[in-house]
Amino acid sequence: MRIAFTTKGTKWESEMDARFGRTEFFLIYDEEKDEFTEFDNRAIGGEAHGAGPKTAQKLFELQAEVLITGNGPGGNAATVLEKAGMNIYIGAIDITVKQAYDAYKKNELKKI
Amino acid sequence: MKEIVIISGKGGTGKTSFAASLAYLGGSDVVVVDCDVDAADMHLLLKPDFAKSEEFFSGELAVIDQEKCIKCGKCKEVCRFDAIPIINNQYIVDPLSCEGCGYCARVCPVNAITNEDLNVGNWYISNTKINNTLVHAKLGIGADNSGKLVAKVKDEAKKIAVSTNKDYIIVDGSPGIGCPVVSSLSGANFVVLVTEPSASGLHDLKRVYELVKKFHIKAGCIINKADINKDKVEEVKSFLKEENIEYIADFPYDIDFTKAMIKGETIVEYDNGNLKNLVVESWNKIKESVK
Repeated sequence: MRIAFTTKGTKWESEMDARFGRTEFFLIYDEEKDEFTEFDNRAIGGEAHGAGPKTAQKLFELQAEVLITGNGPGGNAATVLEKAGMNIYIGAIDITVKQAYDAYKKNELKKI
Repeated sequence: MKEIVIISGKGGTGKTSFAASLAYLGGSDVVVVDCDVDAADMHLLLKPDFAKSEEFFSGELAVIDQEKCIKCGKCKEVCRFDAIPIINNQYIVDPLSCEGCGYCARVCPVNAITNEDLNVGNWYISNTKINNTLVHAKLGIGADNSGKLVAKVKDEAKKIAVSTNKDYIIVDGSPGIGCPVVSSLSGANFVVLVTEPSASGLHDLKRVYELVKKFHIKAGCIINKADINKDKVEEVKSFLKEENIEYIADFPYDIDFTKAMIKGETIVEYDNGNLKNLVVESWNKIKESVK
């Protein structure tokens, strides 16, 4: 599985970003290859409107199959992600990426 | 550090009165953010000093170079916003109507039109009269609030809260349910919904809660002016129950809210009796809920 995390940094120990549309980074963990890819999303700060759908498009291009985030995407972003067949897990707030991954593995995150 | 956002959906319910009161009670434990930038008024109660000010750019504005313009009129023809009137035989962009879409620049045969970044106002970091930090903004005439501006002031507030080790960020959210509200809610730990027992109060509460639900944020509700319509209060309460929203408190309609406002004070400074106690209790409940 290729798992995308909304994060405030690019390390396993980085803190999760609770936001989806305006997340600072995506960290993608490829479970099969045991490999990380990072994506800097901070340019989204320059967008006045429509951050959610734009970030959803980026996530689609990054070919993630699972999204782990905090509050969850808003209405417009959720529609895009649904069409892309994304599996979305929420509730990863105030923890590190590593802790979020562990919580996901233990089925502790809510699927929406 | 916990982020508490106060929203109402409907205007005039007392959102900012409560947000400012919580800011007052929180004192130096909190960083305050005013995201109601279209009609920012928190500064009237918190008396900030505008210590740090920076320009804010959002969107674009078409500018026509009159030297290059051959007056073909193509730009005026394609403009969907009727933003290019002819004044004194010159094609001029009306800055209030221009949406910065760039269509005119695209069709201009002599490349006389460019889009410039639009300065829509300023944002500030201030010290308030209670000696906490307020991050706020002021928009120019006709300028729009946006998710971008809200994200900006919230980000600045977060940086300050983290670096100075504050326990809470109190956000006076934007009105309505649009982009700025989405941005106000994004990343929050708790939402305080302020409503009033009227048809529109309940309607807008339901509408804004739809949005809160999408972000799966825990919410509590304050019913203001609760004695003006007891039946509606029951309707609001049953909605809260249905949706599992915490009932925080109800407040009577009281002229002291207005008197405090006229004096430029929060209700917790102005009143020393029942109203103040109710706000203090509410603040304690909220703190308990975000633990």
